[in-house]
Amino acid sequence: MTATTAPSTAPVLDLKNLTRRYGSLTAVDDVSLRLPSGARHAVIGPNGAGKTTLLNLIAGTDRPDHGTIALGGTDITRTATARRSGLGIARSFQQPSVIGELSVLDNIVLAGWRHHPLRRGAWWRPSRYRQHAESATRHLEAVGLADSAARPAADLSHGQRRMLDLAAALAGDPRLLLLDEPAAGLTDGDIGRLLTILGGLPSSVAIILVEHHVEVVAELAETVTVLAAGRVLITGPTKEALAHPEVRDAYHATAAGQIGADRDGAPEAAPDGVRDTAEARG
Amino acid sequence: MDLLDAHFVPAVDGVAYGLLLFVVAAGLSLAFGTAGVLNLSHGTLYAIGAYTGAELSDGTWGGLAVGLAAGTAAAAAAGAGLSAATIPLARRGHLAQALLTFGLALIGGNLLIEFFGADDLPVRVPEALDSSVTLLGHRYPAYRLCFILMAVLLAAFGTWVLTRTRVGAAVRASADDPQMLATTGHSPRAVHTGVLAAAGALAGAAGVLGAPIIGPGAGTADTVLMLSLVVVVLGGLRSLWMTLLAAIAVGEVQTLGVSLAPDLAPYLLFAAMAAVLILRSQFTEPATAGAHGGGDGGSDPVAWLRRRLSASFSGRRAATATAEKAVAEKAVADRREPVPSASGGPLRRLLSGGRDDGGLAARGRKAAPLLALLVLLIALPTLLDAYTLSLAGSALALGLLAISVAILTGYAGLPTLGQTAPFAVGAYATANLADAGWTAGPVQIVVAAIAAALFSLVTGPAVIRARGTTVLMITLAIGELASAAINQLKSLTGGADGLVGFPPTQALFGGEGMVEESEVYNYALAVAVISVVVTVLVLRSPAGKLLTGTRNAEARMRASGHPVGRYLLIAHIGAGALAGVGGSLMVTVQQYLSPADVGFEIAAFALLAAVIGGSTSVIGALLGAGLIVFTRDWVASSWPGHGPLLLGALFVAAVYLLPRGLAGLRLGSGPGGRGAAKADQLPPDHDSVPAGKVAP
Repeated sequence: MTATTAPSTAPVLDLKNLTRRYGSLTAVDDVSLRLPSGARHAVIGPNGAGKTTLLNLIAGTDRPDHGTIALGGTDITRTATARRSGLGIARSFQQPSVIGELSVLDNIVLAGWRHHPLRRGAWWRPSRYRQHAESATRHLEAVGLADSAARPAADLSHGQRRMLDLAAALAGDPRLLLLDEPAAGLTDGDIGRLLTILGGLPSSVAIILVEHHVEVVAELAETVTVLAAGRVLITGPTKEALAHPEVRDAYHATAAGQIGADRDGAPEAAPDGVRDTAEARG
Repeated sequence: MDLLDAHFVPAVDGVAYGLLLFVVAAGLSLAFGTAGVLNLSHGTLYAIGAYTGAELSDGTWGGLAVGLAAGTAAAAAAGAGLSAATIPLARRGHLAQALLTFGLALIGGNLLIEFFGADDLPVRVPEALDSSVTLLGHRYPAYRLCFILMAVLLAAFGTWVLTRTRVGAAVRASADDPQMLATTGHSPRAVHTGVLAAAGALAGAAGVLGAPIIGPGAGTADTVLMLSLVVVVLGGLRSLWMTLLAAIAVGEVQTLGVSLAPDLAPYLLFAAMAAVLILRSQFTEPATAGAHGGGDGGSDPVAWLRRRLSASFSGRRAATATAEKAVAEKAVADRREPVPSASGGPLRRLLSGGRDDGGLAARGRKAAPLLALLVLLIALPTLLDAYTLSLAGSALALGLLAISVAILTGYAGLPTLGQTAPFAVGAYATANLADAGWTAGPVQIVVAAIAAALFSLVTGPAVIRARGTTVLMITLAIGELASAAINQLKSLTGGADGLVGFPPTQALFGGEGMVEESEVYNYALAVAVISVVVTVLVLRSPAGKLLTGTRNAEARMRASGHPVGRYLLIAHIGAGALAGVGGSLMVTVQQYLSPADVGFEIAAFALLAAVIGGSTSVIGALLGAGLIVFTRDWVASSWPGHGPLLLGALFVAAVYLLPRGLAGLRLGSGPGGRGAAKADQLPPDHDSVPAGKVAP
């Protein structure tokens, strides 16, 4: 299973010449990528390489200036985020995004709401809502948060928030899961659990993983794309990509310090500089 | 050439007017951009300068100089005081500060009238300038030419300070990163105070010099504030040149525009303001238009709405009909044997938010304040005299408006100053219906609600794209546009005179019109109870959670496939309908309707009532509205002429003493209480969540 060959079936994700500019800065520059169904793909690169921008483009929170995005053969370049979720794209956020005022269970009920077969009428029919809660509980059990179901999500620790964010992404039964630095700020034990959860996902779910932890990438990803300054440096099987001399130069040299920083629980955004530039311009 | 000739004087006037606004708006922009204070008392700072200058003006240069020094100093001192007042609120977001400054503006305005009298003060310019010069064949007041020169000098000086001096560098640094500034040895507090004092000085100096153009009077502060808000919004916060351009444009609209197209000019400013805000939020927010089909299939919102309505209408009607009974039943049920919650009726489970974890006792506790209030309200006619009872009726009407503001501000996260617009639509619809002979109460209520809902459907797309302070400004523009329309459409609204003399409302179809205060009050109470119960049912249902999720973690909701824009639009329409019902009630209770009943002040009152109540608390909003009407009409009647002062004091006290609103006083954790306690952990982009939600 490689990223570049999908002879018979349509690839689950097909990016063609994707470009996103913020003013004079090109955050994502002519990126093309084909992922077969069930791919385990990682996107790595130094800070500011455009990894999160790429995820945002795929998830729909950002729009490309050029290029097309196709999901399972359907063009979704201009499709809104919410609609893409309905088509099977789910994501986690770099800063875990939880609804602090609602209970952990309600968070997952809302996350799975639009994907539940009985979603119609759930907003006012209690029996429907209870059925939603049952499937939400299953998702919480999968990430080990079932005991905290009744707690307000704002009370959770950082690691628990990551797990809740992941459960919220999985509650949509995605066929393409976008993970934005899921291991950032996690303890080693939490990372172990994360690997177990992700490793146990059915093979129908394709994963794109943006991650600084090389161990997580090596453990999970079968293929890797290395981005540098918005361009694809190399795409290939994990081992080859990580061993590529240019990757050592472009990535390892700058990323070594960054990995240490992440462990201190201060996940830093790759595109933060990018966003700042955009804001300064607007 | 003739056209140019005829409008030469207004055009030059426009430049003077524009420069005046530029100096004032620069202060407002400085305060908001660098100190983060949305200063709704900025117009009052101008008025301080204008009154001082007018009082000290005696037709000599010396009088002008003394006036300039005194007016500038007084306004600067007021600005410094404002800084001291707002610093403790800095962590509570823009809304708390805006409400505080509005309260201070009410107090300041009242004190100014106290000292200087309610009439417009005459201003005597130095005699040398009290003449006309000939300008390109036109006679033109010398003072205005001189003012243009002085304003240019003032603006140039301000720009020089800001861009070329160390002080200016510190101020600009403070706008970007106060913490970084602190590490370089500047106290952010000192910068904050300095910035607000400088903003006050600018407004004060503009007030002294501009007094012959916008003179000191009762409406000065409001006019100046509104116009400079428009300038700041049009010009943006980034560039002084854009602000200057916007100021001149606004000045020209106010002078040249009024002389060229008097019918259009009132709309032009606020329409432009709304357009700029909407366009700007369009660029910052991801575009979602036309793609809200979601899993429901089809992206046509109207078709979707129709399908949705036909599917759920029967259910909702049943809910409405039994709603009132349900509340009473619930109280009884709470005392009966503990029914397992699984076998409770769906309505009752709805009341508890569809959750099964709360016991009946807990639910009873939650509803207890609402029930206690209901009992009190039912008993009111036997307790109060006729006049006070009619005040209570007004409070109910304003209470519905406050609840609709609370829904948008607290639940949907859209702080609004424009709910008076659908409120006005409902009110004028009712008055016109009555005038045409349709006096049956249910007809009036339903028509008012539908008209207001349609209005909110139209304005909704402009509101729901933006977040935070931008919403405040867009809704303010909508409210002002509605006010302008009310003043123009005299055949429907009676213009500034308002409407009076229409037949009283009948409680039901047929029968006599209600003239007794107690009859009217009971009608108002019945309508209010039904509206509140429907609102509470919807908010406590999972639909309320959808709104909470949208407010707390919008990106997560979108990523999970929720059509966030659709939820917000529906909330906006529902809140609009509720405001329309409130407007209809107000007309029935008052039996007259004037533009002041639906003006900016009422919008601010409603926002305060919602915030006093705790933003997500329906009962809190009702009590807040009651408190405001009680203060404005009942307490103030025993101290005539000090209504604004008392209301201002109420604003200030509410903002300081009730950081989480009345709802925060309760020990139990209602739907709002828990969130309020945790609100400080909300993501930083929620800096403008309502004051009631942000615990210090």
